[in-house]
Amino acid sequence: MSLESSESSKDQPLKPQLENFSYDDAIVKKFLIMTLVWGAVALLVGVVIAVQLADWRFNFGLPWITFGRLRPLHTNAAIFAFAGNAIFAGIYYSTQRLLKTRMASDLLSQIHFWGWQAIIVAAALTLPLGYTVGKEYAELELPIKLAITVVWVVFAVNYFKTLLQRRERHIYVAIWFYIATIITVALLHVINSINLPVSFWKSYPVYAGVQDALVQWWYGHNAVAFFLTTPFLGLMYYFLPKAAGLPVYSYRLSIVHFWSLVFIYIWAGPHHLLYSTLPEWAQTLGMIFSVMLWAPSWGGMVNGLLTLRGAWHRVRTEPILKFFVAGLTFYGMATFEGPLLSVKSVSAIAHYTDWIIAHVHGGTLGWNGFLIFAMIYWLVPKLWKTELYSVKLAHVHFWTAFLGTLIYTVSMWTAGITQGLMWRAVDPSGHLVYPDFIETVIKIIPLYFLRAIGGFLYLGSFFLMLYNIVKTIAKAPKTKAPDVVSAYRLTPVALSNLSQLGDRPHRILEGLPAVFSVLTLIAVIVGTVIELIPVFLGNQHVAASSSLKPYTGLELHGRDIYVREGCYVCHSQMIRPILSETMRYGEYSREQESIYDHPFQWGSKRIGPDLARLGGKYPDLWHYRHMLDPREVTPGSLMPAYPWLYRDKTDFRAIPKKLKVMKSLGVPYTEMDLAQAEADALSHAKKIADRLISQGVPATVQNQEIIALIAYLQRLGEDFKKGLIQ
Amino acid sequence: MGSNDHKNLDNEDKQKIDQKTNKENQVLHTYDGIGELDHSLPAWWINGFYLNIIFALGYFFYYIMGDGPSLLKEYQKEKNEYEYAQALKKDSSKGASEEELRAFLKEPSRIQAGLQIFQTRCVVCHGAQGQGGIGPNLTDDYWIHGGKMTEILAVVVNGVPEKGMAPWGGILKLDEIYSVVTFIKSLRGTHPPNPKEPQGLLVKE
Ligand code: HEC
Ligand code: HEC
Repeated sequence: MSLESSESSKDQPLKPQLENFSYDDAIVKKFLIMTLVWGAVALLVGVVIAVQLADWRFNFGLPWITFGRLRPLHTNAAIFAFAGNAIFAGIYYSTQRLLKTRMASDLLSQIHFWGWQAIIVAAALTLPLGYTVGKEYAELELPIKLAITVVWVVFAVNYFKTLLQRRERHIYVAIWFYIATIITVALLHVINSINLPVSFWKSYPVYAGVQDALVQWWYGHNAVAFFLTTPFLGLMYYFLPKAAGLPVYSYRLSIVHFWSLVFIYIWAGPHHLLYSTLPEWAQTLGMIFSVMLWAPSWGGMVNGLLTLRGAWHRVRTEPILKFFVAGLTFYGMATFEGPLLSVKSVSAIAHYTDWIIAHVHGGTLGWNGFLIFAMIYWLVPKLWKTELYSVKLAHVHFWTAFLGTLIYTVSMWTAGITQGLMWRAVDPSGHLVYPDFIETVIKIIPLYFLRAIGGFLYLGSFFLMLYNIVKTIAKAPKTKAPDVVSAYRLTPVALSNLSQLGDRPHRILEGLPAVFSVLTLIAVIVGTVIELIPVFLGNQHVAASSSLKPYTGLELHGRDIYVREGCYVCHSQMIRPILSETMRYGEYSREQESIYDHPFQWGSKRIGPDLARLGGKYPDLWHYRHMLDPREVTPGSLMPAYPWLYRDKTDFRAIPKKLKVMKSLGVPYTEMDLAQAEADALSHAKKIADRLISQGVPATVQNQEIIALIAYLQRLGEDFKKGLIQ
Repeated sequence: MGSNDHKNLDNEDKQKIDQKTNKENQVLHTYDGIGELDHSLPAWWINGFYLNIIFALGYFFYYIMGDGPSLLKEYQKEKNEYEYAQALKKDSSKGASEEELRAFLKEPSRIQAGLQIFQTRCVVCHGAQGQGGIGPNLTDDYWIHGGKMTEILAVVVNGVPEKGMAPWGGILKLDEIYSVVTFIKSLRGTHPPNPKEPQGLLVKE
């Protein structure tokens, strides 16, 4: 393998040569401004959905703002738009300075910026319209997924070219974290995006059931790791010592916690699938690697906080340091809580409850948000060459945001633990104490109100910052000329003389970014291969070996409606082998049951009850009434009403193509099934409709989407109940 | 760490410590004005890390390589114990007889209790006055599963899951079920408005 090309090219003069250049700060400003814009959007949508859970009427009976469609918009906007733009702003600013060079290509930077914004706009339009793959944080449909891949590659190419053109011999720890981010996000995104299209805006993942679940949570967990953790640690390592004017506490700690973090994180995904039908060895790996992750995570917090030792008195007066200290503390809390939640017996109580929501928001509001705010308050005056408009307002921002985060997390902890315990409560006579799920919902509604207040405070505090920043930029001088910087060009180092790069092995590695990147890639591939491959080779996990009847065309169509409406954000389809749970929902789920599920729909949150064995539990008429007005059959329900399913017509002509795509994914449909798909679906719909009509439902029901949805709901768990699965 | 130990150290040790802290406080590298110090790893941190690794290995070897019980095994054990305990209880409280159930009809408080349960659990399907809806009319003399109180008791306990009638035996306590059955029987001949058409067979009393 060739080393850094700039170092080995022949035509370089041997004497160091001083070069003048300037940094591209325009791109940083652009990303920064979009951070502010998307931050406001993401938080606003967050508050809206919080209010929707407190009071269902805020769904307004409108499809595009119903909870199931808005929640994915909130998560995607918060992660990829708000945090994403912030990361890019910070990376572009710090990388150029740490490498003493301008980004390799302004054009690529521009494509990255505009491409990313276009992707966000596309997401903001398609998610409310119901175009979704139905996998958390990976909801965006195929065309957008492809665009993300292209833009990420553009970013990566630009970044690695910049690394090669650097004028700093060694790469600083922040850059290590950026490299890990760029490589791993690419890997995660590509592997979790392999879908087969049915139409332009509809596709099915190639994986099904347990395999899809494993890939998804390998992705989902590491999106947290490599989108919300590693880049932020990189930002922390640059902006915190800068803002404090103090040296980083320990280089050694940086090395140990970087490599252990990157290596261990990738294994932890299965802790989202404890007690599921994922093979137990994989669950156990997920748990124990999560436990081992505690120290590497805390390494970053310790290094950050100890950097500030000696500057504690300044924390009182400098809002930037306040945000850093609180942010790192929230990071420490979240990364202690994470390993705890990964322990099987704790997961048994906490999984599917609001405890997880508390955990996530401790991380996002407390760590990501506060770090972004610290960075913005530091960067804006630097970039616009002025002073912050109001330090006092920044303090108010801090305390309001802090209070908001506290109210949010404490209310959700309480809700989660309360509900988790209610679900499990069994009285001495051997009965569930709260057999009606709705009792456990009504109990926590007041906490949903409280949470909305916390979110509202945080949003309000964000607008204080917005105002502060707008005022700051408005008073900035209008000079345009960029600063000229100068630095020596690097002289090449011969392969035979690597000791010139340093005396410790890791120091030498820091002088070889290409080698560094390859090692990082290897570090994340090890865990990936060891966990994913065996589950993929296991024959029992695949459709071809199954004799079960696949979904009928109408059921499949109903399933797509289920995915479109985001029912999976409130309902799980995975009954765990826990006694109180099987008493409530029936026998625990089996792997075979989701063998045809492209994508799997196990869910991660039970705002409503589990639906894995719903089929046959209620008559069709019950569902007909429930979906139209959940409160009519379950007083106190917070589930949205779905009146549009009673207006919109089933597109029967779309069904054959769906079966065809499923067949090519290995689902055993016969040629007959394909040939008669439309006719079969029509007669199936008629059967259900006739039953309903005989019970007094209007005769127009037959072509309505609700029929397809009912067909799907009534199929759930039927194979097991019929004894087709042991 | 005990800071008073420091006093007892002889000069040589003191020097060593000073050297160490000096070395740790030296800036190793600088990037864009950011210095890097070389403090050693905090002992509690690295030892905590080792402990977690040891725990992880132990857990792995016990549960995956060794004979630690799997989640399913543990579940099965818990379930067997539960079923055994339930079976014991059932034996000691055999279902009430027709006479015993009929006697309940004379207890207004029991009918009242049954009404409460009916209103929270059953009206969705059987209507507010038992006139029927998704489920059959419970006030007429037509019964799908028989009109004796023991028969009604059996339906309520075991349900008709394939028709959408839940087995309440797993949800309500036996005594609550007696009350709701008594209440249903007390509805006979009340003729609420908008009754559902008769289902099942006419039962004469
Ligand atoms: C905001 C969260 C939320 C969303 C979104 C949601 N539900 Fe629900 N669902 C609930 C709650 C809470 C309950 C329990 C109360 C009730 O019966 O309405 C429930 C109950 C149900 C039940 C009854 C389950 C049982 O065993 O009693 C079904 C069926 C159901 N939902 C289907 C759906 C479908 C289909 C969708 C998507 C079109 C959906 N839900 C979307 C919250 C939600
Ligand atoms: C989800 C709807 C639903 C609920 C809730 C419900 N039932 Fe039913 N029930 C039905 C249906 C449907 C039938 C008819 C079963 C059949 O056709 O065999 C039925 C049948 C019955 C019967 C037998 C009637 C006959 O003609 O033999 C009784 C008694 C009864 N239910 C009592 C109750 C009681 C008591 C409750 C509340 C504890 C209750 N049901 C709750 C749907 C329901």
